[in-house]
Amino acid sequence: MIASSIVLIGAVLILLASIGVVRFNDTLARTHALTKASVFGIVLVLAGAAFRVDDTRDAAALALTAVLQLLVTPVSGHLIGRAVYRSQNFAARLDTVDELGNADDPQGG
Amino acid sequence: MNAATFVVLVAAGLCFGYRLWRGPSVIDRVIAVDGLLVVGVAALVVNTMRTGDGSFVPVAVVTSLVGFVSTSVVARYVEGRGGEPADGGPPGPRHAGREEHR
Repeated sequence: MIASSIVLIGAVLILLASIGVVRFNDTLARTHALTKASVFGIVLVLAGAAFRVDDTRDAAALALTAVLQLLVTPVSGHLIGRAVYRSQNFAARLDTVDELGNADDPQGG
Repeated sequence: MNAATFVVLVAAGLCFGYRLWRGPSVIDRVIAVDGLLVVGVAALVVNTMRTGDGSFVPVAVVTSLVGFVSTSVVARYVEGRGGEPADGGPPGPRHAGREEHR
């Protein structure tokens, strides 16, 4: 019962991430919604299922999946954010500070 | 409880599918595919929990790794292609328009 509740909470978090991906009006905001909410949701789903499965190897594989998601999602979010910054002319839409402004210069960044 | 979880995951998949369909840029579609992979892994795990058969658990590991590789490759491709307007127009030269705004 508790494991099923944890899995349902994780699924609801994934649903919230998808609603954010649909509703936000900026590619970086959509990246933000996906990489934060969905990784927490999938880790909750995997943790709840790891309590339920009988075999220890299956639980270990679920834990490995959770660790991989936690490692991989920030990296892919960083790559997506950098691609958005460089491809959609993002520097022209910033108001205050552009921390990636001289990251391409050999002397600067 | 499992049926409710499946319904929630189907709703999330529909939302990601809407974003995959609408775009408007390539990176939005990459984000949508990433979310669809997350939904697929979650559905696989919930199905494992429902049946008690752990045969498909390694598929979850492989799916998360393949999703990372595909996301990073497409992000590098879009970045190296050097610019795609958000409205889906023709791509410009690399870093076009950045210098005049600094």
